[in-house]
Amino acid sequence: MTHVVAWASLAPLLALAGSLINAFFGRNLKEPAPGIIASLAVAGGFVLAVLAFFGLQGSDAGTQVTFWRYLTAGSLHLDLGFMIDRLSVTMMLIITGVGLLIHIYSIGYMHGDDGNSRYFAELNLFIAAMLVLVMADSFPLMFIGWEGVGVCSYLLISFWYRDRANPDAGRKAFIVNRVGDVGFLLAMFLTFKEFGTLNIAAVNAAAPGMLYGSGVLTLIGLFYLLGATGKSAQLPLQVWLPDAMAGPTPVSALIHAATMVTAGVYLIARIGAVYAMAPGAAATVAWIGALTAFVGAFAAFAQTDIKKILAYSTISQVGYMIAAVGAGAYWVGIFHVLTHAFFKALLFLTAGSVIHALGGEQDTRKMGGLGRHMKLTGNTALIATLAISGVPFLSGFFSKDAILSSTLNSSLLAGSGGDALYILLLITAGMTAAYMFRWYYRVFAGESRVDKHAAEHLHESPPVMTWPLGILAIGAALVGYLGLPEFAFPNLIQRWLEPATATVDFNHLAASTDWLLIGLSIVVVAIGIGVGWWIYHVRKGAPVAALKESNLASASRGALGFDALYRILFVASGEGVSGGVATLDREVVDRGLAGTGSAVGLLGRLATAVQSGFARAYAFAMLLGVLTLVVVAALTGVLR
Amino acid sequence: MISLFVILVPVVFAAVLGLAGGRRPAALAFGMASTLITFVLTWFLPGSAGLSAPWIPGFGVTFTLEPTGAGVVLTLMAALTMIPTVLMAARRVERGPGACVALLLLMQAGLAGVFLARDLVAFYVFWEITLIPSMLLLGTFGREKRRAAVLKYLVYAIGGSFLMLISILAIKPLSGAASYRFADLLAATPNLPGATQVWLFVGLAIGMSVKLPLWPLHSWLIDFNEQNHPSGAADVAGTLYKVGGFGFFAWAIPLLPVGMERVGPVLLVLAVVTALYGALAAAAQTHMKRLLAYASLSHMGIVGVGIFGLHLAGLNGAIFLLAAQMLSTGAMFLISGMLFERRHSFDLDRYGGLAASAPALAALSLFVLFTFIGVPGLANFPGEFLSLLGAYQHHPWLAAAATLSVIAAGVYGVNFYQRLYQGEQHEATHEIGAIETFALIPLIAGILWLGLVPATQLNKIQQQSQLITTPTTAQAPAPPVPLTAAVDGANATAVEALGGSR
Repeated sequence: MTHVVAWASLAPLLALAGSLINAFFGRNLKEPAPGIIASLAVAGGFVLAVLAFFGLQGSDAGTQVTFWRYLTAGSLHLDLGFMIDRLSVTMMLIITGVGLLIHIYSIGYMHGDDGNSRYFAELNLFIAAMLVLVMADSFPLMFIGWEGVGVCSYLLISFWYRDRANPDAGRKAFIVNRVGDVGFLLAMFLTFKEFGTLNIAAVNAAAPGMLYGSGVLTLIGLFYLLGATGKSAQLPLQVWLPDAMAGPTPVSALIHAATMVTAGVYLIARIGAVYAMAPGAAATVAWIGALTAFVGAFAAFAQTDIKKILAYSTISQVGYMIAAVGAGAYWVGIFHVLTHAFFKALLFLTAGSVIHALGGEQDTRKMGGLGRHMKLTGNTALIATLAISGVPFLSGFFSKDAILSSTLNSSLLAGSGGDALYILLLITAGMTAAYMFRWYYRVFAGESRVDKHAAEHLHESPPVMTWPLGILAIGAALVGYLGLPEFAFPNLIQRWLEPATATVDFNHLAASTDWLLIGLSIVVVAIGIGVGWWIYHVRKGAPVAALKESNLASASRGALGFDALYRILFVASGEGVSGGVATLDREVVDRGLAGTGSAVGLLGRLATAVQSGFARAYAFAMLLGVLTLVVVAALTGVLR
Repeated sequence: MISLFVILVPVVFAAVLGLAGGRRPAALAFGMASTLITFVLTWFLPGSAGLSAPWIPGFGVTFTLEPTGAGVVLTLMAALTMIPTVLMAARRVERGPGACVALLLLMQAGLAGVFLARDLVAFYVFWEITLIPSMLLLGTFGREKRRAAVLKYLVYAIGGSFLMLISILAIKPLSGAASYRFADLLAATPNLPGATQVWLFVGLAIGMSVKLPLWPLHSWLIDFNEQNHPSGAADVAGTLYKVGGFGFFAWAIPLLPVGMERVGPVLLVLAVVTALYGALAAAAQTHMKRLLAYASLSHMGIVGVGIFGLHLAGLNGAIFLLAAQMLSTGAMFLISGMLFERRHSFDLDRYGGLAASAPALAALSLFVLFTFIGVPGLANFPGEFLSLLGAYQHHPWLAAAATLSVIAAGVYGVNFYQRLYQGEQHEATHEIGAIETFALIPLIAGILWLGLVPATQLNKIQQQSQLITTPTTAQAPAPPVPLTAAVDGANATAVEALGGSR
């Protein structure tokens, strides 16, 4: 069976081939040919992933496929290769499966766009890079995929490049992600120093033999976490994701909801053996995740853009996943990646369907009652809303509950406030139900606030868009049954993933306590939905209208002011530093000794450079942030 | 003998071109013939026989060429880069394209000499001779303020070279080596007393730091690029001429290990400063060529970090980055020339939205730009990665600081693209032409080749990295012990385990 598994190596190549065909010949192709070619390339990858999935049924170990020598230095020999095991195949199925549906949907959504073939070339390239990321057997190859998806994300966010706001958003995403990439690079340097290898399996195999809780392992864990916070839009690097909504909506669904933003979760799960030996790092991961989950949910309340609400929701939901892998429940994190891929992709695609129907309108204040005109879109959106809210018997309910119980019971979080984490995430679950109810109600239910002009053109989307919605809705409803609560039922996904991930001890509660906790979370969700119902349906939004000018509302609107803070801290000072260096070079270093006389004039110019700050270098002195991290790490004696 | 031909072929073609008069068809034909023949010859360099003949016997000076190690890799990449460079120069230079191409060919010959010479005096001669065509290119074909730029370039280059020359002249008599050949010097110079080594090393280091270039000796570079001919061809040649890092790697460090041990930490700090300083300054530029010059300065800082970190991985990576940046920086300068041809300006603020009318040019520019800023999978990344990784093994703080330049690289990289190609297009331009595409193809092929299969070149470089010896004065001179093996000590077994899952 290993041959079947090894064939999966061709999946990224197929996507790459699709991308190249559209890049070189796309302009000569007529619609819908580019979309069909791209979809076929992803479909081929999906078939290969499914075959590999069956090929791996019998064996716990994965299949290693080695290509060629990449780096050499002394006895350092690093080959490029794929590790196709249960964890990577699970990710491959999500990437190609949900990816295929989004490709098909895009054929309808991007119909008539003059960049149609460029769009599909970039989307295919993304799939190729994302597959490399999850299949890589070494950190450098994973990093090739890691930056590759970042590049594709940049390209697709700024897809409609004529409107300056879009390239600006793409640039912000790229630069903030580069801050995270510095973390990934430093992590690799230190990994090599301590483990003498950059092969992931070798590191995982060696980690259990190292000193439990040692400073170095903790620092390695924190460096990888920094990488993860960039790609997965977690605190403190979450600021790029809301802006990333500037890209076409299917891109938001694929890259900024279902796949790329979960790369950080995958990374931590992949090297779980390291975190299992570094409880300090693991607890930091869990807390970053939980705090992000809360902040994201809080910010989602006051947004009015149909996609921005979902963006903050994604930040929040990925926070749940990060919390799970921080707790050492690696299969749980991936389980939520899976369920989230379905319901969040579905939410974005229904949003896209709405935007499509309204001719580009994204403001929820000009929506309402759309479910009556767009039955399929409305109904599937309702299923996704209920799933993400954690309503019983839909997918989100199972994966979210697994996360909650893992934070409460993890031995890795013992002494690091696992209980507090649980409560924070539980409260956030209630908030999730409430803000998602608000989202659904303001778009699909209640009275219509649609412009007269737009209302005349209201229509359900074409079948090429609604079919993927239907399939995703089935998944959003049912995929949770793969991970039924393990204390009472057979849990398929846990059994499937556990051989491929590290093991962490969890306390086992009495079954009655487990049932009680599930009951508690159902109550919280019910309260969340109930509050939403009361505010928006019964009181017609009056209670929040009263709050509009309050500090609380403006804090939520501004997502706790991170963007504004960074603009002052990093952008302005970064531009100042950069301009200052340029001035310094021109006025002093360049003139050498002859220029010393103008030193006084220089001081004045430096001051202006610091004060002026024109929009250039986003998040520049996040340089400073990283430095601070390193300094703090050293001061606390982590670095030997 | 092939190594000799690699030097002679461009010289002969340059001479013929000079005699034939510099008309455009002749420049194009002879230039392309020379670069293509040379490129084919460089393919046969590895494994070919070297060459050693007495030159000035009384002073122990020989003419020794050895086609091995890092020199071969750099000669090969320089030969590849020269093909499109000469093509663009022959096509674009308005007055006297023949002379321009001839000067470029002379530079290529001189550089091949720098990379292949294994006699210190011969190395120095090639190093200095190359200065003349590069200066003439700037002085003859440069822009309005070229005089000042030439003057500055000469002051820095000659000032540095003078100190270097003193060290070179002194090193043989002081050490009592049999000749200026590398092998003879290596048998004697590491045994020199520490203080002597330091003074000799400082002399070499100043000359080489100017050419690296290392902060604060870099000022000539910015004006050099800003004032050179707008086709970008001379800038590419200048990029190939950043041979300071190679000088440290091939000569100064192996010959004077104690000098390196004492002075190295200062150089490492300066290299880190260079990496950050260049990247930060690049992010504030609105002039296309100045931006590229500062960014390239930052890359040279990373080369320095790799070399002065004295870890085998970093040494390999630094030379690899030198080779890779020939292609990527070269391609960036050629693209800047193509843009200038369209708009007659290097001011980024005067561009915008060009992706609408020139999508293929935009796509190729972005590809090269991503290489330039070190996106993995492309040519610069293995070099940057190994340079920083190597330095990190001994100097985590400094290496981490240099790694921060990655962020600034993201800033100047996307700024560059956005200002040129995105946003509203005010004025359409024409799409990339056939010759322009043809010029970029060899560079892009090289970028993919280096980016995806770097190990082939790394293996060649490593033959020479291992020559960097331990700074022990008491030991018998031969056989040389690889410095990294001793420094790493404890790490050696760990290194063994890399890729150890197999």
